[in-house]
Amino acid sequence: MKKDETITLGKFKQTKKKISNSQRNFMISTFSVIAFLILWEVCSYYKLVNPLFISSPLKIVEAAGALFVDSAYLNHIGVSTYEFAIGFLFALIIGIPIGIFAGWNQIFNAIINPFVSALYVTPKVALLPIIIIAFGIGITSKIVVVFLMAFFPIVMSAQKAMSTLDQNLIKAARSFTASEFQIFRTIALPSTVPFLLNGIRIGLGQGLIAIVVGEMYASTAGIGYHLTHAGQNLKTAEMFVGVAVIAISGVILTGMIGLIEKKFSSWKPE
Amino acid sequence: MASAAASNPKLQSQFLDVTYVNNKTGSEVIALKNINLTIEEGEFICIVGPSGCGKTTFLNTIIGFIKPSNGSILLDNKKIEGPGRDRSMVFQSPSLLPWRNVKDNVMYGVELQKRVTSETKKIALEYIEMVGLKGFENHFPHELSGGMQQRVNLARALTVDPSLLLLDEPFSALDAQTREFMQQELLRIWSETKKTSIFITHQIDEAVFLADRVFVFGARPGHLVDDIKIQLNRPRALKIKREPQFLKYVDHIWGLIEHESSKQGFEVE
Ligand SMILES: Nc1ncnc2c1ncn2[C@@H]1O[C@H](COP(=O)(O)OP(=O)(O)OP(=O)(O)O)[C@@H](O)[C@H]1O
Ligand SMILES: [Mg+2]
Repeated sequence: MKKDETITLGKFKQTKKKISNSQRNFMISTFSVIAFLILWEVCSYYKLVNPLFISSPLKIVEAAGALFVDSAYLNHIGVSTYEFAIGFLFALIIGIPIGIFAGWNQIFNAIINPFVSALYVTPKVALLPIIIIAFGIGITSKIVVVFLMAFFPIVMSAQKAMSTLDQNLIKAARSFTASEFQIFRTIALPSTVPFLLNGIRIGLGQGLIAIVVGEMYASTAGIGYHLTHAGQNLKTAEMFVGVAVIAISGVILTGMIGLIEKKFSSWKPE
Repeated sequence: MASAAASNPKLQSQFLDVTYVNNKTGSEVIALKNINLTIEEGEFICIVGPSGCGKTTFLNTIIGFIKPSNGSILLDNKKIEGPGRDRSMVFQSPSLLPWRNVKDNVMYGVELQKRVTSETKKIALEYIEMVGLKGFENHFPHELSGGMQQRVNLARALTVDPSLLLLDEPFSALDAQTREFMQQELLRIWSETKKTSIFITHQIDEAVFLADRVFVFGARPGHLVDDIKIQLNRPRALKIKREPQFLKYVDHIWGLIEHESSKQGFEVE
């Protein structure tokens, strides 16, 4: 806020208008969600749709209240969180350097590109049977699936970012006797950030899918596991609690990416 | 006078040929053929010539991006083998880092040369003021006009304190008035810093107004057509552009370029 005050009046006005715009949009969004929940509740209450299939928001809240004090359920959440965090972390710390290096070095790119391109479009869940055989039905197999799902979008985005570097900037840097590393640090990395965040966002979504599908397929714990069992036993409300937990996690994580993005693109034109 | 200056050449181009080889087809384009010229310490040189005659190629060879296919360029009697701290360039195309504000863009050159000190920071601010961008230090490139961006480029090139300043059509994106203003500013900066400068332009009056000497290049292959000493007193005010002597230079150079262009089947723009 402090920063806004120091810039010119015209700019300040613009910023102020934007805030009220986003406030308005936020209110509209809130309203649409509430309307949806009411509609849902009504449909269920008057049995317009079989409540066995759709449960109802109130029942879901009730079920959530019960589940969140149940240490077994908290354990499920813990297991899933752990699997996701480790798998995604590996995807980041391996995927980003590989992608960036591939975009930087043509030979390395030529080596890995066929695999990356092929695996990027392959539904990694197709590999689940073999992953389960190799890593068991415990958490390791889920970590592997999350990793595989999140890894490729991240690699691809980093690679793409590097291949779209502005040659004019590189020429200018070279004219000032820049080393390869300096060009990498001052031009390549900053240009990569927006692409990379986009890849990470896609990777997040993929990783969440991986968790649920992996736990559904074969596991002994986790939200996906609990959700599947709840569904099979017609505990629809409990199943929806699981869905909500995953959806809300996704929204929060994506929101965090958005915040990072904002921080890195403060220089960008509106 | 001339002989005293000739003993202190800043830059010598000797039998310089530059050939581009297409990697795929192997076909060759001779961009420069047998360029022989000498530039003295502190001189302001302008290069004019039809489009495609190798002006940018010549600067790129001096900055050290291109290896001559024959001959060599000596800077302070040392052969140029690659980019160096003694040179900097204002490029034809915009080349500011979009995520850096004006101040950090101007500091970019010294930063790459690992010379960020309170002294160089002060120099950067001085050049920002000199190019008329005081108050815009914290603005980002997208918040500046094309002319302002080009001035940031100029300040960046000056901040590294080169002994040879290369400028590739730095004012081509400017409107006529800003352009004339910048020509005067550049001359003022040049007279304060006395940096040897090589300036490419398509505008002949700009060349005559700025230069101690104008090199006229011809095309296919790029070669030096003429080297014209501009004997107009300094400091030069804008009104000099209407004086007969000035116009005579412009006419003469115009004729040379027209002749070159017609020889190559070019239109003079
Ligand atoms: N990277 C390159 N590869 C191959 N040929 C090139 C390359 N750069 C320039 N050329 C060729 O070399 C010749 C000289 O180009 P150059 O850019 O030096 O001309 P110029 O005098 O600066 O033109 P302009 O006034 O349009 O900027 C042209 O015929 C051009 O096609
Ligand atoms: Mg050019």
